Amino acid sequence: MTTFFQQIVDGLTTGVIYAAIALSLVLVYRTSRLVNFAQAEMATLGGFLAWQLSDWGVPFPLAIALAVAASFALGATMERTVVRPLHEAHNELALFVISLGILVVLINVEAWIWGYQVKAVPLVIDGPAVSIGSVLVSRQKLVIVAVAIVIAALLFVLFQRTRFGLAMRAAADNQPSARLLGLPVNATMTLSWGIAAAIGTLMAILVAPQQFLQPGMLLPVLLYAVAAATLGGIDSPVGAVIGGLIVGVVENLAGTYVPGIGQDFKSAVAFLIIMGVLLVRPQGLLGSKSVVRV
Amino acid sequence: MSAIMRRLRQPRPRLPIPRWVNLVVGIAAFAYLLYAPLVSPSYSNTQMAMVCVYAVAGLGLHLLTGMTGLISLGHGFFFAVGAYTAAILSGTQGWPVPVSFVVAAALGWLLGFLFGLPALRLSPLALSQVTLALALITPSLIKRLDFMTNGSAGLSVDVGDPPAWSGLDKDQWILYICLLIALVAYLVTLALSRGRTGRAMKGLRDNLPVATTLGVRATTTKSFVFATSAAFAAVGGVLYTLVIQYVGADAFGLTFAIALITVIVVGGLGSVPGVILGAVFVVFVPSWASEVSPSASGLIYGVALVVFMFVLPGGVIGVLRAIGHPVVSRFHARRSTAQPPVPQEQEAGRR
Repeated sequence: MTTFFQQIVDGLTTGVIYAAIALSLVLVYRTSRLVNFAQAEMATLGGFLAWQLSDWGVPFPLAIALAVAASFALGATMERTVVRPLHEAHNELALFVISLGILVVLINVEAWIWGYQVKAVPLVIDGPAVSIGSVLVSRQKLVIVAVAIVIAALLFVLFQRTRFGLAMRAAADNQPSARLLGLPVNATMTLSWGIAAAIGTLMAILVAPQQFLQPGMLLPVLLYAVAAATLGGIDSPVGAVIGGLIVGVVENLAGTYVPGIGQDFKSAVAFLIIMGVLLVRPQGLLGSKSVVRV
Repeated sequence: MSAIMRRLRQPRPRLPIPRWVNLVVGIAAFAYLLYAPLVSPSYSNTQMAMVCVYAVAGLGLHLLTGMTGLISLGHGFFFAVGAYTAAILSGTQGWPVPVSFVVAAALGWLLGFLFGLPALRLSPLALSQVTLALALITPSLIKRLDFMTNGSAGLSVDVGDPPAWSGLDKDQWILYICLLIALVAYLVTLALSRGRTGRAMKGLRDNLPVATTLGVRATTTKSFVFATSAAFAAVGGVLYTLVIQYVGADAFGLTFAIALITVIVVGGLGSVPGVILGAVFVVFVPSWASEVSPSASGLIYGVALVVFMFVLPGGVIGVLRAIGHPVVSRFHARRSTAQPPVPQEQEAGRR
């Protein structure tokens, strides 16, 4: 029974990471109608920035802050330069191809600069694992969970309690109407990309010690994050968080208890979740149903 | 600035080149390709064979993405199916290579059809998500089936030895097989891209509601195209095994799927000759770039995808058309003033 609870808690702590990247995917999808396959790699780049800064002797907390700020700027710039013209032309195929292109560019730029040797990123907090009942959780994971909760809370406040958040929701819901109402639609789009990139980077830095920082570090996570976003509903931030936690737990339990899956083949779970959800309930748990008027 | 961009992005119609010129140039080029292996060094024959591999798989993806507008990152999976079919049937079991081609094509078609049954009910966006997942799990799936595929160690094979009567070296013989298959694939793709099927595919790409109203059966056509393109990928996989003589799990992941997309994007989405140019690009340009740095060869795919999609959506073919247009139109004006050129069908007209 202890194994079972341990697996669930492990699943939840991994699920938090999926949830965070899924949240980035959702934020970008809501504004640009693009599942940005480069999202996870942008986060990895942020992880490299933080490592490089701390390697140059910048104190680690400051390095994190600088890397997150740089990622915010990078995400926002990407939206302004490459994404917006194609989004306005409704050229979804081109957007998709470009997100793939950016993914490849980022992986290879990272490999060019930093190589494939794993970089040792310091833990934010060290010390023995904390036991909750009979279940052990490392301190770093607790920090990750705490940070994720803070991010979720801040986003909730932004979306639900500020005027700008209202504009963001309006723009996601109906862009032409929001524009006609004079809402700052362009600013909401740029900001969403910035926030998405910043969240990803923060998570990448926190998981880097256990995921081993190297180019393509978060590609496996991208698969689970896409599964999480699909499960929760590709345009629902709350759904992304719930989906991430569910995917984390299910993946962990399946890897432990379902014969024939094992630790190496857990990714098949993500594939089955994506396929199953899209067939049974394409809008996901909390997403909005898309209806096409002919 | 934006004026330049607009000129670059402008879609180019097909050049009004007479059919016999195309035919003569095509036959001459192919005749040269038949002669070249006899006098080329073996590494260049292998590279040409790799161009054929990418061209065959790319032609399949052209039918799916270029013509029908469906995105698939999962073609690495079907390619791997073909590659392993050849490695197991012809390599381990010792069956003749033509059997591998038939089995791989049939298996690829069937798996593509079965995968398409649920997947093609999805929106294009959701299809890209599902096929991304397929691309990411393909290597671990191959490793999971290690009793057949020998896991991450892979299978080294010795297939496609030239028959004694030909007197050819192995690389030459394999290049001839590749050229033959690529020619067949090219002609089949041309046939499918024109006429009723081609119009049905373009209709689904450009305006689904209108196409269905006009009697195009969306589900049937999509399933057929997806299965056919999967079969193309599987046949490409057989050629891959012949050329490389080795299959390993990690060759068929996301990177490979992206290389296939590069093939159809660089040449020009929706253009059949463009696929060949794209295949030449992905084989030769990275090997030049890797002289600069090992990462540069990967980087060039990414840069090519972004640049071609953002600045030159018409691809290399679009550039060639832009350059060739003044020449051809002047030639036409001088040659037939009484008979104006027939307005050409707008090729690759994107939404």
